[in-house]
Parts: sequence; structure tokens; C-alpha cells
Amino acid sequence: MPTKKLVTSYEQDLKLFPDMWHKVGLIAALAFLLVFPMVASAKWVTIANLTATSIVGAIGLMILTGFAGQISLGHAAFLAVGAYTVAVLGNEFQVPWWLGMPLAGMAAALVGLAIGPFALRLRGLYLAIVTIGLLFLVAHVLHSFGDITGGVSGIAVPMYTGLGDATFDAPWEFGDYEIPFEKKLYLVYVTIAVGAALVSKNIQRSDLGRAMIAVRDHDLAAAVLGVNPARTKIIAFALSSFFAGVAGAMFAYQQQYITIEPPFDLNMSVQYIAMIVLGGIGTTFGAVAGAIGFTVISPLAESVGRHIPFLSENLTSAQQSTVLFAVVVCLFLIYEPLGLLGFWLRIKRYFSAWPFKY
Amino acid sequence: MLSVQDISLSFSGVKALDGVSIEAESGDLLAVIGPNGAGKTSLFNCISGVYQPQKGDVRLEGDSLLQYSAHDIASKGVARMFQNLALFDQMTVLDNMLLGSHHLYKTPWWKNLMFGKAARREEIEHRERIEDIIDFLHLEQYRKMPVGILPYGILKRVELGRALAMQPKLLLLDEPAAGLNSEETEDMARYILDIKEELGITQILIEHELHMVLDLADHIAVLDFGKRIAFGSPDEIRKDPAVIEAYLGGEEE
Repeated sequence: MPTKKLVTSYEQDLKLFPDMWHKVGLIAALAFLLVFPMVASAKWVTIANLTATSIVGAIGLMILTGFAGQISLGHAAFLAVGAYTVAVLGNEFQVPWWLGMPLAGMAAALVGLAIGPFALRLRGLYLAIVTIGLLFLVAHVLHSFGDITGGVSGIAVPMYTGLGDATFDAPWEFGDYEIPFEKKLYLVYVTIAVGAALVSKNIQRSDLGRAMIAVRDHDLAAAVLGVNPARTKIIAFALSSFFAGVAGAMFAYQQQYITIEPPFDLNMSVQYIAMIVLGGIGTTFGAVAGAIGFTVISPLAESVGRHIPFLSENLTSAQQSTVLFAVVVCLFLIYEPLGLLGFWLRIKRYFSAWPFKY
Repeated sequence: MLSVQDISLSFSGVKALDGVSIEAESGDLLAVIGPNGAGKTSLFNCISGVYQPQKGDVRLEGDSLLQYSAHDIASKGVARMFQNLALFDQMTVLDNMLLGSHHLYKTPWWKNLMFGKAARREEIEHRERIEDIIDFLHLEQYRKMPVGILPYGILKRVELGRALAMQPKLLLLDEPAAGLNSEETEDMARYILDIKEELGITQILIEHELHMVLDLADHIAVLDFGKRIAFGSPDEIRKDPAVIEAYLGGEEE
């Protein structure tokens, strides 16, 4: 009896869900995503929305840092560009959200393209420094156009639907059943996050992803193989900042009122790097798992931290979650440098070898 | 086919290459030998666009390669195997070889984001071609393994396969048999002859294993301290006093 379906064509090798178990997993995941908002409380639906936002942002950083190997500490700058694009477009021109989101992505991608040529000449730490510079530059520009961005006092983000003055935060009503704002957002955000993960997976398994990984691992060899390193890096920058811009727009629409820093500061950039490291560098799975792990860990820490004797007496709940998160990251770096991906691979290996040990 | 005309390359004072010329006819198997530091790999670097020679010209089928950057030279049909492997460890054997056909992909990059029918069809076309190379080099059992876990002898073959996947007109082999045991060296020699006879690809071979060079090559160029000291058929080289002096330390073999 074959233990798994035999691959009989090259077409089959390209499938994302090649056999029955993958399909079962897919259906189970979709069912979970559908059932989740029906049973979860408003707080956890909001956390899920933040998670979806983080997934899109982390995928953006994964394309740039994980696939193409360009370290960026300026990821928050691209999110800021996206967030302020939808805020300004909404306030000034009543642009609906479904148009605002792609426009936010494109605006951020343009900024990414603009700094791409500088990034080509730099690598490693030098690039990291320049991208920090970008972060301060974007914050400065947003501050200095205070009359349209609201400056330090921030700006409201209206989410127009495109039907006259109607906004998205009014609940949908079906008779006596009502879908509130956060659940409406959930439907939109989960769709975007799944789409982003699919695009990232497609990059990873196609010629484009191979070229990026080649540039990451050995750019001289990549060039001799016919990969244009400059072009590949610029594509990675543009795609990465597009996703970051969309994530920024998602963040802005959910918060409904945004300021420049916090949240769009160095801390946010570092958080995104922590996500992709926690998930496992270089894979789409890593970006998604890292974003989920990172976003879910703080509310979990809040509920766990209360029961840890020393922590609960001396620290606020925010500090508790920071400490617990730091411990988790340290443990990961020591025991599982591949991140959550390493866990996943081990589980997969266990089941494919079962009932044998290896 | 390939003509390297009087090239000189120096690194602030050190003359790596000094007026070196070599010619290779289509279908030729040209060997370049010489002691360590003679400039053999520098010569390859000049041909594949990694270095720019300060003087002279490199022409492939009459077209000067110096105006192109490394990745354009690759798409002109120059493939290369590195002396110390330059494979991508985390990719599978298959992905490494597919990367070799990167310059043959016609799908615009943004179509890969959706990876739709057209992109898939092209991927499968290249896969079919790669499978022929895998078959030719007997790599079937390693196809889906990440390169990082494979033994050295196999890696050399994978790298040869990746170079072949580029559909080259000119193949530069930088010590393909270095670090291989005698059985693997024999296999490698067999593959090089097969590439010459079945595929008709022009090859330039750098090798220290003199038996292999003398048996395989149509012509041999000998470099020493950046200068070409001899050029000719294996029989002529074997008898050339300058070569014996430089390469074999003054002793008859």
C-alpha cells in the first residue's frame, strides 16, 4: 500500500495542496477562520484583526529580509506611508477603503523604489543604518506637513465605503442578527492576509523567489548564473514596501485614529524583525506563524502573567508581557534557531516517519 | 568561437594576467594549466565578467563581452563551474538547477506573483529540460534533497548540471575534479567527454590532474605568473621545455 500519493506528473509537483491530508488541513483551517468570529469575544476578534495586519506586514519584511537578504530596520516607515496615505485620501477626497488600500500599497512601493537605488550600494549593517534613517525621514516629513497629516496631534481615519457618506464602521444588520465593525473588518482582513500569504508562497516557489534567495546567499554566483542582483533587490524592495503599505492601511482603518510615533517608530520595525525571526527566516510559513505567535503572545501573557508570583507583584501587565516575550524569544534562539518553522518541520517529520522514530 | 585577445589584469601592482591570448574553436575542449597563482581563475573571471581586464578584449562569436555585466554574459551563453562550489545550500538540487535556467524564463516577474497557467507551463518546460540533465548526470536520487546535506562528489556534479541548465555555448570548468577520488574523477572525465561529443558545447577546463588534461584536451594553454608560456596540442605541450621547466619543476615526467 502506498503511504502517500505517487507523483506522476511535473504539474502535480507544483501543487500547493498535493494530497488528501493537505486538503483536509486546508478545509479545517478555512472552517476555523469562518467559525472563529462567531464564537470568539470582541476582544479576540480585534486581536485576530491585529494578527492579520501583522501577517501582511511580516510577509512584506520576509520578502525583503527573508528571501532577498536585505536587512531593513525601516519597515515601520513603509507602514506609516501606507497608514497616512489612506488617512489623507479619506479626509481630503473621501476615497473608499477598497481603493485606499491598494493606493496605500502603491504609495509605499514608490517610496521603496525611491530608496532602492541607494540600498543597492549597501549591504548588511550599512543598509540597516540607512533604513533607520528612512524611518526618521518619513516621520519628519509627516510632522512637517502638519496641516494635512495632523502633525503630533494625529489624524482620524475615516473608512468610506464609496456609497455616498456611508462609512464601514456602521454594523451590518440582517433582521435581528447584527455584524459589528470588528467582525466586518475580520472578514476583509483575513481575506487580505490569506491573499498575501498566497502571493508570498508563489514568489517563494517560482523563478522570482529562487533568484531572490540566490542573491541573498551568494550574489556573485547569482550574477554569474544570469540573475541580475540589482533588479532582483529592487523588485524585492518594491514588493516588500507594497505589503507594508497595505499593512499600514489595515492598521490605520482598524485604529480609526493614528499618530506618527508611536506607533510608527523603531520599536515597530524591531517587532517585525522579531516576528520573522520567531517564525523562521526565509519561508512564508515563518512570516505567518511568527506574526500569529507575536500578536497572540501579549494578550496570553497578560492572562498568564497574573499567576506568576514575582512578576504580578512588581510589574504592570505591559511589562509582564514584555518580559515573557523576551524569555520566549531567548528560548527560541537557544533551542530552536529555525523558529516555529523548526517545530513544524519536526512535527511533519514525526508523522511522515510514523510508526518509526526516524 | 571564443577569442581572448592580449588581456592584462592587475590588482594594484600584482599582475595577475599579462598579455594573455587564447583561442577556442567551436566544439573545442581547451585546457588551461599552470602552477598555483598563475592566473587561471583570473582568466575565467575576466571571461565571465566578474573582473574587467585593464587591457585587451574578450570576444564570444565576434561580440565583445567587456561591455556586458556578469549576468548579461551569462545570458549570452557563458556558463561556469566554480573552483570552490557556489551552490545554494538551502535549495534542493532541482531548484539549484532551475536557477541555472533563470535567464531562459520569459514570464515577466509579476506573473510569478499569481503563478498562473502560463508561469506554470514555463516552469514545467524547464523542469523537463532539467530532468534530461539529471538523467545525463545520474542525479535522480538526489533531485529533491537540499544541497547542503550532499557529499562533495555529488555537489561537483550538481554544479556541472546547473551550468548545463544554462544552455551554454561556452562552458568554463574550474577544477571539476579537485577533491574527487579516482573513481569520481573518472566519472567527471566521462561527463566532460560526453558534453563535448553529444552536446557539442565548447569547453575550457582548468585542471591540476595532468593525466586527465593530457587525455581529454584538444589544445592546452599553459600559464605561469600571468603569462602564457605555451599553447598547443597535448603532445606538443608534453615536450615543451618551458612547460617542463615551469610546471614540472625542471624534471621530465
